Amino acid sequence: MSDPATTWHAEPDLLERYARGDIDHARACSLEAHLLECARCRLALAPAVDTGRLEGSWDGLVAALDAPRPGRMERLLARLGVREHTARLLAATPTLRLSWLAGVVLALGFAVAAAHGGRGERSLLLFLLLAPLLPVAGVAASFTRGVDPTYDVALAAPMPAFHLLLIRSAAVLGTTMVVAAVAALGLPDLGWIVAAWLVPAVALTVVSLALATFQAPVTAAATVAAVWVGGVLGSEALSDGGLRAAFRPGPISSAAFTAGGQLALVAVTILALLVVTSRHDRFEIERTV
Amino acid sequence: MAETLDDPRSDQQLVEAMAGGDRSALRSLHSRHAPWLLLRLSRRCADPAIVEEVVQDTFLAVWRKPAAYKGSGPVAAWIWGIGIRRLVDQFRRQRRPMVEVAEGMATTPSAEEQLLLGVEHGDLGAALNRLSPELRAVVQATVLDGLTTREAARLLGIPAGTVKTRMMRAKPQLREALL
Repeated sequence: MSDPATTWHAEPDLLERYARGDIDHARACSLEAHLLECARCRLALAPAVDTGRLEGSWDGLVAALDAPRPGRMERLLARLGVREHTARLLAATPTLRLSWLAGVVLALGFAVAAAHGGRGERSLLLFLLLAPLLPVAGVAASFTRGVDPTYDVALAAPMPAFHLLLIRSAAVLGTTMVVAAVAALGLPDLGWIVAAWLVPAVALTVVSLALATFQAPVTAAATVAAVWVGGVLGSEALSDGGLRAAFRPGPISSAAFTAGGQLALVAVTILALLVVTSRHDRFEIERTV
Repeated sequence: MAETLDDPRSDQQLVEAMAGGDRSALRSLHSRHAPWLLLRLSRRCADPAIVEEVVQDTFLAVWRKPAAYKGSGPVAAWIWGIGIRRLVDQFRRQRRPMVEVAEGMATTPSAEEQLLLGVEHGDLGAALNRLSPELRAVVQATVLDGLTTREAARLLGIPAGTVKTRMMRAKPQLREALL
């Protein structure tokens, strides 16, 4: 755009010194104001910039235009300061996708409804059983060929597989636990027991990661789930005479939800963490297979 | 008139053409405006890689949201408004203050700022040069680059309250130069 009101134009020497940065502040201000209005001086300034640099800028621009646009989640993560490639891999983590979250919400919804349908603490049992298993399933799904759309991308990610695993597991655990915590608000108020799923959720996730250093993630998750469900229902049954007792109204007696049981689960978590850190190179080896 | 580099269209026409997905219009805008934008940003950021990224981001925004240009004022001023804010975003993302503070001029000045801008040379220039680097950086970011207090704070890596107090200290000095 040109400015007919201006007949003043910058001297070549002034433009040159501006481009070099060899100019006082007031004159630079003045020139910059003029440049916004004057196409002729902008054009005269252009040769001061290396053409290779401008071509590079244009090529980069074209590449960015042709690249697929990042999804909404990816842009949100980027805005929160997550680095680009991390954001892409995170956004592709199944738990961050709507269909997965919808499944989680649905499952927890049933559990909450069941809690309202029953009487006494034991009506919470389904919720307490289910909530800790969701992050376990999420983590396993994040690392399984066929379920994880970025399986191949993750293999080639410019970071150790272990870092990726930690980042994604944290994301899975975080999102699922937030959803479960919101769902727990809908539970009938029966004291601290409505929060008793928190420790098991962390414990089971870490244990499944530890197991995943020995076997496939899905197998590890299934093992953890089986042991958890069997253990909780079994201990309910043992203390109350028979498996059917677990479905009768009454207080929850399973050891996992007592203070001692929760402490034991914390200890198990720490142990599992040690296993994960000492065997983390197993995740790297997995990648080469 | 005086539009450049083979494309007979004016900047405004190029922006309109971009809305219809004409990539050659973006090419022309880029060749006209990338050089001065790059130089002007370089005076505010010493890292060439960041400057190049900001220039690219700016034209990406120009391409994606040509409707944001309201049709009043020079297209160059609109591009600058996008560019300087992208630079602020970069600094925020990298959580580090800009390396070197410099100067610039106007997008939409207020009445008082208009008064300041009305005098391009002479006493005001001298007064601006006399300000301490800290005060000058604040004047440049807010008055001349057209940033808000918060944006200026991010650009300079200082709290917003500090931007305000420095601006209050700079004003009497500049006013004195004008009277």
